[in-house]
Amino acid sequence: MSQIRRDWVSKTSAGAILGFSLAIALAGLFAWLSPGGLATPNKFQLVMWLVAPIWLTTLSLCFLFSSGMRAWLWLGGVNLLAYAGLIACRLLLR
Amino acid sequence: MRSDVVRLYKVVHTWTGITAGMFLFIAFYAGSITVFAEPLARWVSSPAPVRLTALDRSDDLIAHTLAARPDAAKEFTLYLGETEDLWARLTWRKGKDDKAPWSAELSSEGDLRLVQSYRSSLADFVDNIHRTAGIPGANDIGETIMGVVSAVYAVALVSGLIIVLPSLVKDLFALRIGPNLKRMWLDAHNVVGVVSLPFHIVIALSAVVFCLHEPLYDALDYVVYDGRLKSVMAASNPFNSVKKDERPAPMLPVNTLLERVKAASPSFVPTEMRYRNAGHRGASVQIWGYDTRYMTRGKGFAVISPVTGEIANTDYLPGKEGTWTGLVAIFFALHFATFGGDVVRVCYFLLGIAGAFLFYSGNLLWIESRRRTERRNGGPVIQKTSTRLMSAATVGVCLGAICAISLTIVAAKWLDGRVANIDVWHNGVYYAVFLASVLWSFLRGAAAASVELLWLAAIAAAAIPFTSLIGWASPALGMQGSASMAALGVDLVALFGALCFVWMARSAAHRVEYGPADSVWAASHRQLQEATR
Repeated sequence: MSQIRRDWVSKTSAGAILGFSLAIALAGLFAWLSPGGLATPNKFQLVMWLVAPIWLTTLSLCFLFSSGMRAWLWLGGVNLLAYAGLIACRLLLR
Repeated sequence: MRSDVVRLYKVVHTWTGITAGMFLFIAFYAGSITVFAEPLARWVSSPAPVRLTALDRSDDLIAHTLAARPDAAKEFTLYLGETEDLWARLTWRKGKDDKAPWSAELSSEGDLRLVQSYRSSLADFVDNIHRTAGIPGANDIGETIMGVVSAVYAVALVSGLIIVLPSLVKDLFALRIGPNLKRMWLDAHNVVGVVSLPFHIVIALSAVVFCLHEPLYDALDYVVYDGRLKSVMAASNPFNSVKKDERPAPMLPVNTLLERVKAASPSFVPTEMRYRNAGHRGASVQIWGYDTRYMTRGKGFAVISPVTGEIANTDYLPGKEGTWTGLVAIFFALHFATFGGDVVRVCYFLLGIAGAFLFYSGNLLWIESRRRTERRNGGPVIQKTSTRLMSAATVGVCLGAICAISLTIVAAKWLDGRVANIDVWHNGVYYAVFLASVLWSFLRGAAAASVELLWLAAIAAAAIPFTSLIGWASPALGMQGSASMAALGVDLVALFGALCFVWMARSAAHRVEYGPADSVWAASHRQLQEATR
């Protein structure tokens, strides 16, 4: 088992930046895909509440990646998937 | 858990903890007090010399006020309670930040009395300290900083959990009281942290949302809603549920409106009615109140038309919310302790104090693991600058905030009605005591200052019940306290707090004289003797 690298700057920035963009995208997917769709009255508050737990869980756990490079690659990849889903929602669900 | 992962997360925990710790100490201590904002507001209020207009004359009061002051029709509030922190039956203000609202009362002969007076609330001041940790400047600056601090705090929680996980079962209920003081503090830090972890997770995440919701909404609007969030918000706004219509129309009596709400939700207890556009066909009334059977966002409300008597919106009426507002109400309730009544409030008060202890003990552990120790043969030591400064800052900031809040409370009672602008005094007393304590701690060193500031904390807390006592003993001072159980509770808690501070001051003094001389907590003359031996 290889030693885990510290990579403070790259891991923290990956968690803070990509974790945030991921949280926004996942909250957005929830807004689109939960009953009623995007424009349902009163849903936007819950959507906003979802951002904090997703973002901070990602930021807290991203030090588990074996290196900063891997953190950026994995989180970047998941971000791409999430944003692809978001664009698909926008195109397919009006 | 691999040991290298644990080592890595120890570093994360150390640096997130030490960055956020002192901000969080102040926020938690002031937050515990804010749980009991209403008793505090009643404690500081004098029983009103003239009682409020009787509730059953409210319709007369509204009609007389609107006839005399048509400008009040746009928005005014009728208070339904009888407690001493209510200063008028009916009030209106010009805009949200108007600090000098008007109030209206009816004399027993039926004459209208209109008064404009400066209002400021001690409970709101303590709440501001809670929300900004006392960071000066506009509130939104302090709140934004606290939003970031809360995010750091969330990371500290997860990293702390990862560190204790491997030895959780073995260490959790082991509180090793004994000669190894660092071990004992660590055990105490761990057990408090693990036991109150769910509370801390809820508080950290909700605090991030409360402080940073505006940038979060902006980001969502830009990325997800494509600039349409404003219109979604407007469509959700309960205050838009009554259509604008400026034709004049008579309004139903107050009691009829209250009966309609009671029919809709029998367990809801109304406390105030906020009228908008009174006298128009498009008038609305928000009936605010509480309902201990549900988890609520502080107070809930129903919107009702005072013209037709129809309930227009129940999105924020406890138990009648829709799915979405109902779910969000749970998050609010979990932060504000607005569920389950007094039992939950007492638990939140204790959890908040325990949280403050968590951050204080965290700083102590940081200091303990960095201080130079006398090695068996290495002889005496002089402490590193970093541990000296951090111990002085911890003592000054934490104990300074405690002293400053107590003395602000005491000063508010003494100055009530004697000064023109009590806000300036709240701020003046708080920051003077806080900054003086920090300065004192750096000048005197952590060891001496910890004892002295603990004695000051004891005196300041004891001054709260003594103020009540003096107020009752000499009525000439004109500051009789409230005779309610709520206000008496404030006195008793403050007295108990004072006794706790006395105990802490005595044990800190003992440690200064008789504890290990190579500690940052030993008297400086003993550290010096050691060093020159």
